[in-house]
Amino acid sequence: MTTASFILRNALRNKRRATLSALSVAVSLFLFITLQVTLRELTIPPEDVGASLRIAVRNKVSLAQPLPFRQLQQIEKINGVEAITPFTYFGGLYRNESFTTFAQFAVDPVRFTNVFLEAKIADDHLEAWLKNRGSCLVGVDTIKRYNLEIGEKMLLSGTFYPVNLDMEIVGIYEGTFDDRNVFFHHKYLDEMTDDPGTVGTWWVRAGSAEVAPNVVHTINETFANTSAEVRAESERAFQMGFVSMWGNIQMLIDSICSAIVFTLLLVTVSTMSMAIRERFRELAILKAIGYRRHELLAFILAESLLLSLLGAVIGVGGAAWLFSTIDIQQLSSGMFVFFEVTNKMLGTAFLISLVLGVVAGIAPGWSVCRMSVVDGLKTLD
Amino acid sequence: MLPVKYNAGNVVLRWRSTLATILGISMVVAVYVIVQALAVGLQTSSANTGDPRNLLIVRKGSQSESSSVVNLEQFRSLRYSEWIERDAQNQPMISTDVLTLVNLPRLNGQGEANTTVRGIGGQGRVLRPQVNLVEGRWFSKGKREVVVSQRLAARFENFGIGDQFKTGPDWLTVVGWFDGGNSAFDSEVWADADEVRSLFDRESYSSLLIRPASGQGRAALVKQIEEDKRLQLLVKNEVDYYKEQTMTATPIKWMGNFLATAMSLGAILAAMNTMYATVGARTREIGTLRVLGFRRRTIVLGLLIEGILLCAVGGILGCLLSLPLNGYATGTIGIESFSETVFEFTITPKLAFQGIVFSVLIGLFGTLIPAIKASRTPVIDALKSL
Repeated sequence: MTTASFILRNALRNKRRATLSALSVAVSLFLFITLQVTLRELTIPPEDVGASLRIAVRNKVSLAQPLPFRQLQQIEKINGVEAITPFTYFGGLYRNESFTTFAQFAVDPVRFTNVFLEAKIADDHLEAWLKNRGSCLVGVDTIKRYNLEIGEKMLLSGTFYPVNLDMEIVGIYEGTFDDRNVFFHHKYLDEMTDDPGTVGTWWVRAGSAEVAPNVVHTINETFANTSAEVRAESERAFQMGFVSMWGNIQMLIDSICSAIVFTLLLVTVSTMSMAIRERFRELAILKAIGYRRHELLAFILAESLLLSLLGAVIGVGGAAWLFSTIDIQQLSSGMFVFFEVTNKMLGTAFLISLVLGVVAGIAPGWSVCRMSVVDGLKTLD
Repeated sequence: MLPVKYNAGNVVLRWRSTLATILGISMVVAVYVIVQALAVGLQTSSANTGDPRNLLIVRKGSQSESSSVVNLEQFRSLRYSEWIERDAQNQPMISTDVLTLVNLPRLNGQGEANTTVRGIGGQGRVLRPQVNLVEGRWFSKGKREVVVSQRLAARFENFGIGDQFKTGPDWLTVVGWFDGGNSAFDSEVWADADEVRSLFDRESYSSLLIRPASGQGRAALVKQIEEDKRLQLLVKNEVDYYKEQTMTATPIKWMGNFLATAMSLGAILAAMNTMYATVGARTREIGTLRVLGFRRRTIVLGLLIEGILLCAVGGILGCLLSLPLNGYATGTIGIESFSETVFEFTITPKLAFQGIVFSVLIGLFGTLIPAIKASRTPVIDALKSL
């Protein structure tokens, strides 16, 4: 019998307990991964997705405060600005839903395609969209979710704006970080609201990563001390602004993660020491026939590591498999998009299981090392 | 029936694994109670808001006051309705409110968040008796002064009395703190309505708050507004309107339930492990009990009581662990208002009870299989085992 198979046999000798222990580790780590994935989802696009050259410009007061249309020409003139489009959140409700998860934005179609270069639109779709003021471009995710077709109507009832929109779907886009949105002509919104003078935000594309910070700075400076001061920031910083709005929820999820890890530790340590205490006599015999303390400790550690890593493989692997298989958009009614397990999360989870295995093994291992052979042989239980 | 003393003795005997199980279950229950306490807190704060005598009027189709628009024409057509209560000066009791969002820095550099600024009309304070000044004074018109909720003041920069903050090109001065009585008003900054309109360039108001005349007044006013098709306004009891603003609580509840389900699964596994071990170590003892004439179901019942007892202790401990958070103010983004919503963790007796029931269920499911197994071991085998 090799050392490895000795450890394996020991770990699995009480199959029921081994299963229960590994499964409780698995459940906890599954939960841990799920929470981390959810937390990441609160930021769209998530922090770790590559930065773009885009700059968001909003009213300094808040997103709810509009910007005057005249700013367009001033921003366009700034050095390093490649393209700019108005970008106004409509916030309409679709099909009697009480909460519509796809956003709708009024944009200037030509300018829009120059700012969002990654949006893939078929040529005929684009042409149709540009031509027809009452038409809209719909993200592929939303098309799939509602089984929409080209030529269908898109009716939206306004929640911020006291108007309802009646548009025709003429095109589909994909390839952006959020393929759920609906884009339509800003002119159409202007007509409906009878207010051609204001927009929600500006989205700007800088020429290169080097000039981007300077562009941000210049835009902010240009409108300082005017009646509509702006806040220009990189797309990333803009999104992070939403994250900070979540406030204490983030902290709460973090604390829950810690509570789970702590509980896990507690339970695993207890199971492991149960398993070892049952075998005190046997371990004393090993000691009596000449095994060294550090060898016994190594046996115990290896056994506990084996169980906790097994649990991690089941729990973390299960989570990674599950989240890559299910259609999270469909399940969450479009609330979640990515639900992706990142390498960082995988690393953290396995690190936790590693620490768990070591800590759980050390306490009982230590008492085995310290017991005298005679006492060990005397134990009955 | 086995004496409970027997079970209690056993629980104490294997104290290490018992303790781990109890602590583990207490964590599960604590997490459940704390997350649900958030949802309860949000709902309590919504339900606490408003005065049952008032009617709130917003635009049909808007989802919150801050996204509603009531224009001057609509206001004028209602202003002198005979169904509106008059105050001592014979003025109609109506508040023209305008809500806007201002993005401000949080305390200690923790990013920024939107805050709701509510401009209230002349009667706005009288119509909301639950809002009381706790420090400083009320704002005076035309001086760019605001009064902020005490709760918000604890979360944002520049909300101390005498402090100034900037919105757009204008500076506003904080002159007082109010307490909203644990209602949605605790998440607001108050100023004069017309001043807010001019500062934020708004032609219209957001909502109207009206005290209908007693007697027929309420029904008549509602009828008047609903029948006037040009108005396109929604009229609701103020209390009901706020009570229904609970979209923010829904995902939190959902998260609480998900966490509870997943964590209890883990806890059941852990409880099973412990019970298997305690039962396994007592095989001989159980055999003896059988010889003495105790029936199988008595033994199963005895072990179940033991497991449930153990888990219930964990449940109670979990509730106790979560209790210090009761009343602790916290905040997140309100889905309807799109701004910082402040509320308290609220642990109700019902919630604590649910937590304990939960732990009892974990005990039940965790013990059942080991207990049945133990009672089925043949007596001879049991007695022979070491």
